[in-house]
Amino acid sequence: MPLQNNRPTHGDPGLQPERTDLAWGRTTLSMLVAAAIFLRWLPHHGWFVGTLVAAAVVTALAINLTRKRRFHRAIHGIQQESMPPDIASTAAVAVSVVILAVLGIYTVLFLPLT
Amino acid sequence: MTATNSQGSGSGRSGFSARILGGGTEPDPRFTLANERTFLAWIRTSLALLAGGVAVEAFMADLFAPELRRTIAVLLLVLALVIGGGSFFRWLNVERAMRHKTPLPLPWIAPVLAAGGALVAAVMVIFVLVRAT
Repeated sequence: MPLQNNRPTHGDPGLQPERTDLAWGRTTLSMLVAAAIFLRWLPHHGWFVGTLVAAAVVTALAINLTRKRRFHRAIHGIQQESMPPDIASTAAVAVSVVILAVLGIYTVLFLPLT
Repeated sequence: MTATNSQGSGSGRSGFSARILGGGTEPDPRFTLANERTFLAWIRTSLALLAGGVAVEAFMADLFAPELRRTIAVLLLVLALVIGGGSFFRWLNVERAMRHKTPLPLPWIAPVLAAGGALVAAVMVIFVLVRAT
């Protein structure tokens, strides 16, 4: 049954892998909304804001490109009843948000309105 | 193939993650996933605060005095910074507690969020009252 090889199944009626995958998806969307609102700063604060937009979009893309890997990892973890926590993903997202916030504070405090 | 890939990178990181997680035994993967979703919910809260702070600065130019606009924007952005950074440590502490089967730590970022939100609201109320008179 090749279908079952391509799409691994798990016995979790709580649908945890799917819910976690959707939570990552919502985070991607939130990140893109933040990027879109940063765009509103472009006419006021100039090119520097481009780095904020780029950082948010790159993070959103990175999350989305690794979603499938995390989904399969979760399914595999439930099948094996053991799964190491995904420190790299959580740390990367948290660092990205912190960087965005620091750049935002810098923009508000030190970049004059033009 | 994807599954073997993720397994490979997982075992490659195991020395590093074992050090960060402080040993213990692997909890039920469902709890690990639930902890991850809770972390993401905090991150989205932080992103909403971030977007709110940027929006105050970007959209309220004609409405608020520059100092007030700046104060509210920086307050929201600092809150986003603290919640965003804190959510990782919250995630890590919960993961550690689950591995050692100790009681889960209280979320200190929750009162921070409540107090921060109240502070921003208070600044707005004072501003509206001052402007009305």
